[in-house]
Amino acid sequence: MAKQLGFYLSSRRCVQCHSCQVACKAVHGVELGPTWRKVLNYWEGDFPNVANRTISISCFHCAKPACVEICPAGAITKRAEDGVVVVDRNECVGCRSCEQACPYGAPQFGADGKMQKCDLCLERRAEGKQPACVATCPGEALAFGELADLEQLAAKKHAHRLTGKTEPIAFVALVQHKGVAADNIDPFLHVLKPTESGRQ
Amino acid sequence: METQSDAKSSRRSFLKKTAIVGAASAVAAGAAITGASLSGKKSGLPGVLKRVTSKVFHSKEAKEKAIPTFCGMCGPSAGCGIYAIVKNGKFVGVEGMKELPLNRGRLCSKAHAAPQWVYSEQRLKYPLRRIGEKGEGKFERISWDEALDTIANKLKEQKEKYGPESLAVLSPAHRTYSPYMYRFLVAHGSPNYGHSGICAMQRAFAYAYTLGTSPRADISKTKLIMIWGKQPVYAGSSKGGVRELLEAKERGAKIVAIKPTMEPDVALADVWVPVRPGTDAALALAMIHVIIGEHLYDAKFVEEWTHGFPELVKHVRQYTPEWAEPITGVKADQIRSVARLYATTKPACIEDGNGLEHAPSCNDTIRSLAILRAITGNLDIPGGDLLAAGKPEGGRKSFTLRERYTQEWIDKLVWPEFPRAFQPMNEGTSSAYYGIFESILTEKPYPVRAIIAPGTQPTVTTRGTSRVIEALKKLDFYVVVDVSRTADMNYADIVIPVASMYEIDHPFESGEGWIMARNKVIEPLGDYKSDYEFWIDLGVRMGYGKDFWHGSIDQCMKELLVPFNLTMEELRSHPTGVATGKKGPPAYKKYAQVFATRSTRLNGAPLLPQGKVAIYNTTFEENGFNPLPQWVEPPESPTATPELLNRYPLVFSDFHTSKVYNAGWLRHVPYLREIMTDPTVQIHPETAEARGIVNGDWVIVESPYNSLRLKAEVNRGIRKDTVMALHGWWQGCKELKKEDSALLAGGANVNSMYNTGKKAWDPLVTALSSQTLVQVRKA
Repeated sequence: MAKQLGFYLSSRRCVQCHSCQVACKAVHGVELGPTWRKVLNYWEGDFPNVANRTISISCFHCAKPACVEICPAGAITKRAEDGVVVVDRNECVGCRSCEQACPYGAPQFGADGKMQKCDLCLERRAEGKQPACVATCPGEALAFGELADLEQLAAKKHAHRLTGKTEPIAFVALVQHKGVAADNIDPFLHVLKPTESGRQ
Repeated sequence: METQSDAKSSRRSFLKKTAIVGAASAVAAGAAITGASLSGKKSGLPGVLKRVTSKVFHSKEAKEKAIPTFCGMCGPSAGCGIYAIVKNGKFVGVEGMKELPLNRGRLCSKAHAAPQWVYSEQRLKYPLRRIGEKGEGKFERISWDEALDTIANKLKEQKEKYGPESLAVLSPAHRTYSPYMYRFLVAHGSPNYGHSGICAMQRAFAYAYTLGTSPRADISKTKLIMIWGKQPVYAGSSKGGVRELLEAKERGAKIVAIKPTMEPDVALADVWVPVRPGTDAALALAMIHVIIGEHLYDAKFVEEWTHGFPELVKHVRQYTPEWAEPITGVKADQIRSVARLYATTKPACIEDGNGLEHAPSCNDTIRSLAILRAITGNLDIPGGDLLAAGKPEGGRKSFTLRERYTQEWIDKLVWPEFPRAFQPMNEGTSSAYYGIFESILTEKPYPVRAIIAPGTQPTVTTRGTSRVIEALKKLDFYVVVDVSRTADMNYADIVIPVASMYEIDHPFESGEGWIMARNKVIEPLGDYKSDYEFWIDLGVRMGYGKDFWHGSIDQCMKELLVPFNLTMEELRSHPTGVATGKKGPPAYKKYAQVFATRSTRLNGAPLLPQGKVAIYNTTFEENGFNPLPQWVEPPESPTATPELLNRYPLVFSDFHTSKVYNAGWLRHVPYLREIMTDPTVQIHPETAEARGIVNGDWVIVESPYNSLRLKAEVNRGIRKDTVMALHGWWQGCKELKKEDSALLAGGANVNSMYNTGKKAWDPLVTALSSQTLVQVRKA
């Protein structure tokens, strides 16, 4: 099997500091507006038996990326050498099909109308550095690596591979709570919808 | 965006070279090779690319430099280590420094936004003199010489006419330039260091006079952590506190969080006690009642090492959980169960914060927390609350010239932060920050005539904003010293622009077991001096040159390095710092030693006259204060002022810390403002719905003193009878089209919302209340 890189995300260790989000923007010089990595909060229960869960997500560099499939311009590709999904902005036509297709809100659009998103820090990794989000995380809630290694880590941490038809390359360590499967981050994703109430 | 394009960019980047350059000299760069080997501890995560040691180059071709230094976004202090990345002479980003034990390569959101802060158009650029009316905002550029001479001439004139005490210097949060401010005041002859009364010293005082020192929660070995009025996540997320807390949680330690809203640390907690703001003393007293009533205390420790336990037993009979329930809004059952959990889980520790320093019962709250620790036998045991033995706290004692204090000096305090009998405290003599402004208006006992405000903004920092503005208008001479424009600089006569910590190469910083030089990242972007140089140069102009190294910052650094047995050159040859002192195994149960600690008062009286934990405090009693902790209502609350509930049915308080800002700063930094864009008020869904408010609506929050315009943040994790907002909003962010907000009505400045009358003050430690009652309606 070809090399495939992905993320490990621990909701148990995420403390909502947003360091990953700002580190990502700073390293890539992302303009105001688009956010390649987001910190999502999810609430359940009600006062005083209320729980607040958090997870930090970006592009999951899926095995079957919906964005690649739907892109009419062929601007998005999955790299053979490491499985990272990248966009060629010279080819992007700004149709935003990928935005609709991605279940995780990864494709972002800035002032130029072209898609941009996490590239798993290609440049930093070439210099031997970790992705910016992983390197900075004070709670050590984030890790990245090859699929096989992530599987081992997940087993050790009782984390689960995220399920989904795009086969995201992400292992999540969720705080176990009622009614939500260990491999499902849907409750978090509701926060992506702008109408959902919740904290900033 | 190059990184977006395709695989070519990654090949190109292989060719890039990252140079790690220590000090400016080639010798230092040579030393940087060893200093820069990234030998941080293994992450333990498989699959993570092995950390590759960056090849160190010191070549002229290197376009990118990584300069080791300290982050300057909170502090300046011995904070997190960074490599500041400079490309073509521009500061472009930061990397965490793995070598520094404090942050081990980890950083918070603020650290990464530093370049935006440094290059902001809101930076001050050169010294200014006001030419318009106060508040109008008309200034002219002047030279540093003119600025310093103007200040020095004015201070000399006032000293002659009104005495040196007519000058007050306002304290920022503790910074490494704070001791320079003290030094200047002492050299000048004024005792009036204006300390804010909302942070750290109030706790330090109550702990010193109850336990002999401030306890430190031993989270690494504990079985239970009671987080009380603290935000361990936002208060320096990368400084190890988060890591310790998460490790404790994974180890199986229980976490109890006591605070009115569900913040990220509460999300980690096993038990949440959503206490009503400002009522922590009532809760703590009721917990003591339960622990004593159910004989859950450590009888042996109580017998051997506490004074006044029998009096306490009698005293707390009145404070039943049923009594506390309507005050605190916490069910009596929960008070009982938390008290039992805390008293029967051993070891247990309490991690408290400055949320407890904002109530008229502040001192009694802290004393109660000290008593809880003592009677449960958790003091100075592994996993409990550790007590540092030795000299009185404070450090750098002689640097602040405190040996010159006399009784006459203390008598001159304009509005003592702690009663005169207890002055000077650890850091020196101090007046209550807000009291200084009252003195200007009331001229009692005398008016302060000049204020220097470095790194602090009185209109958003302290309570009573309208009084503060009135006082600033009346004040003879006001000097603002800062990096960027401030909320009240338009009232300043002189504005002093100081360099950011990325534009200077001093001071070195020494934290716990570590010392490291600061390196200059970029040349100053304006006509700047550092905060440190400002005080030294002003000292020289005032004729205090002998106390200020005759103007030489190098001499100053040299003197400060003497205790470390290092020269600046030697320190700089270790770009990522040097470990100082070897830590032996920790010593526990040092009761005899700690409880014999002497105070920093002029007479050096022991902090604990009986050599035991002062449950019954004879020192307080002798000075006319209550010997046992008691409950004092906030100036307005459902139980203190039920008659106000018709008009103002909700409790209001504020948060001091947030995930992306420091107090009243950084709102203009776009990457941070994006995360918290508008000033919000947290409100429970039911409370919101009853008022026809939905998430994101703009609302008016009205107290008996002012009204704010805030955005509703509908939040299930807050008490239904309480709404809370973040402290420190005033500044706009041009990039996100956000304008400055008003300091008074219609703005978002929480400090304008509170009572500042007599009932709002803690009588002993001058803590000012930050609770009141409000109504909320759609804007």
